[in-house]
Amino acid sequence: MPELNLVQAINQGLHQAMAEDERVLVLGEDVGLNGGVFRATEGLQQKFGADRVVDTPLAEIGILGSSIGLAIDGFRPVCEIQFDGFLPSGMDQILCHMGRMRNRTRGRNTVPMVLRCPHGGLIHAPEHHSESPEAYVCHTPGIKVICPSTPADAKGLLIAAVRDPDPVVFFEPKALYRAVKGEVPQEPYETPIGKARQARIGSDLTLISWGAMVHTCLKAAEILEKEGASAEVLDLRTLAPLDLDAILASAHKTGRVVIAHEAPNMGSWAAEVSALISERSLLSLKAPVKRVGSWDIRMPLFRLEKHYIPDAERVLSAARAILAF
Amino acid sequence: MPIISADLSRTERVEILSAEGVRDFSIPVDLPEEQLLWLYRKMIELRLFDERSVKLQRQGRLGTYPMILGQEASQIVPAACLRPKDWLVPTYRGQGAYYARGMQLRYSLLYWAGDDRGVKFPDENNDLIFAIPVGSHLTQAAGLAWGEKLKGKGGVAMAYLGDGTSSKGDLHEALTFCASMKLPAIYIIENNHWAISVPREKQSAGKTLAQKAWGYGAFGVQVDGNDVFAIYKEVSAAVARAREGRGPSVIECETYRLSHHTTADDAGRYRDASEVEAWKRKDPILRLRRYLESQGLWDAEKEARLQKESLAMLEAEIKAYESFPPPNPLDMFSENYAVAPWQLIEERAELQKILETRTGDENLAVLPPAEGRFP
Repeated sequence: MPELNLVQAINQGLHQAMAEDERVLVLGEDVGLNGGVFRATEGLQQKFGADRVVDTPLAEIGILGSSIGLAIDGFRPVCEIQFDGFLPSGMDQILCHMGRMRNRTRGRNTVPMVLRCPHGGLIHAPEHHSESPEAYVCHTPGIKVICPSTPADAKGLLIAAVRDPDPVVFFEPKALYRAVKGEVPQEPYETPIGKARQARIGSDLTLISWGAMVHTCLKAAEILEKEGASAEVLDLRTLAPLDLDAILASAHKTGRVVIAHEAPNMGSWAAEVSALISERSLLSLKAPVKRVGSWDIRMPLFRLEKHYIPDAERVLSAARAILAF
Repeated sequence: MPIISADLSRTERVEILSAEGVRDFSIPVDLPEEQLLWLYRKMIELRLFDERSVKLQRQGRLGTYPMILGQEASQIVPAACLRPKDWLVPTYRGQGAYYARGMQLRYSLLYWAGDDRGVKFPDENNDLIFAIPVGSHLTQAAGLAWGEKLKGKGGVAMAYLGDGTSSKGDLHEALTFCASMKLPAIYIIENNHWAISVPREKQSAGKTLAQKAWGYGAFGVQVDGNDVFAIYKEVSAAVARAREGRGPSVIECETYRLSHHTTADDAGRYRDASEVEAWKRKDPILRLRRYLESQGLWDAEKEARLQKESLAMLEAEIKAYESFPPPNPLDMFSENYAVAPWQLIEERAELQKILETRTGDENLAVLPPAEGRFP
């Protein structure tokens, strides 16, 4: 099986999704001729033409609103918002329309679109290029939200997202674009939306995470192993809908849970996961659920980002604290 | 009743200084020699700064940096038409606009090195930090202009934007507010023809971007953005009208991004070298130098002296930039609120504990004291 990095896997997934369904369109800023600023859409315009792979004007509301319109009109738009920090300017379309159209029209009009957006920090990028806005979207009903951590999942989940009948926001951890490699099946395939992945099996505590932070948790788990604690790592992959069964099963098994992520901690998606465990699995817990997120301040300029986004050390101290509880 | 700005809008493009450096004296421009030479000096300094910044980035001594090359006139001249207490909000490609107002280049470098201490403008200026999500500052500029109108002392607000940003809805709302309330706002569209890889013609089917202003009842005109005289004439007139309560203006400076979008971009992937070469012949600095020489105001000796002085100034700024001690990570927690809430107090204490255990130059004991107000 060929080894690909994350951005190559996404690129392959886009190629195959476009090849299998001519209703699929790719649109966004710099996605055509330039192949995307991260090269995720490289080669698509050459292969499928400028009518299906469209360099749009610089206008996020335009990109998102027209994608919603195209989706209602029978197409399968896969739009790109170039950076997580540019997502807010299109939030009106996401919060007020993308996830609500099916319900508002009582099923008459649906929005089978995918919004791709790079996610997270630690690539020394300028301001507003390193945000983790998943909670805003996860909080919004009617939208599915994905954030993979491996190339194989990225491709399989992207294809599943394009085929899905409802809107999907697909966050791509930019720190992993070229940093992780893995075997990726050549043929088109779906990784099921709504299913978590056991990235590591353990028995003493569970580290729950998504995106780039999964790899930080795996690092922490290795160190814990040396300290005599067996850590399970659960990669959520899909943030909405959450894989409640997998979360509760692991919490039940280990009784100790740390949830690690890149966004500011308060009101984060980790808070939702924590609340679900506490509400539904309280008696299996041996310690309070702990959240490890970024500080509750804005993402600083990149010189301090490694002091802002949790590293393995911060995951470890949370893990040690609940092991000693 | 004085005529409002919008009624003065013109469809013809304003050109005064040709690419060959020949000035059309039939169009009056009240730009004293001394100020013209000052503008030339600032443009030279900016170009050298830009070249050095790119080199510093390539050497790993600076983060991602957005090049200004070719846009020196459209950067420097509009900002130079303001008073320090007027508001200025440039774009992220705006170090030149700040520099025209006296910002020290060491801070520009610090900012693009990913250091929040680089957001440091002269105390006496009303300079506002630019917005990285493009266009989101345009309605804020309307608010700044609104405030100046309420104060009634003739203050104005100037915001820059690019050709790409002219596609954003923010401009629509900003001009709607400014024109309907006759606010003292000036919008400078630096049309450099490329929004990363997307050319100007894909942003709008309109003949100019300036004409967008007309629909709102704002003044709009396109000028040769590499022509110091044309920019100065139109922007200073727009500022004067704004001060007099005659409403907002949009000045489109048609220029060209001679370099990549940023140091992270490769423009060779999406545009022809021949286009770049053609624009190099319209260079704003070259044509001004030719003009100054033709008027006996400039010569090779003066040029050599200016280059030498500018490079020395630049070296001193780079040295000052590289002499900043590393930032104290606890700085992050300062200045988030007038009074910090409990979670910030807890989290800062947690980070402080972590830093006390770090080795080498990350240990709290060897870092400079934290800056800014907390809690």
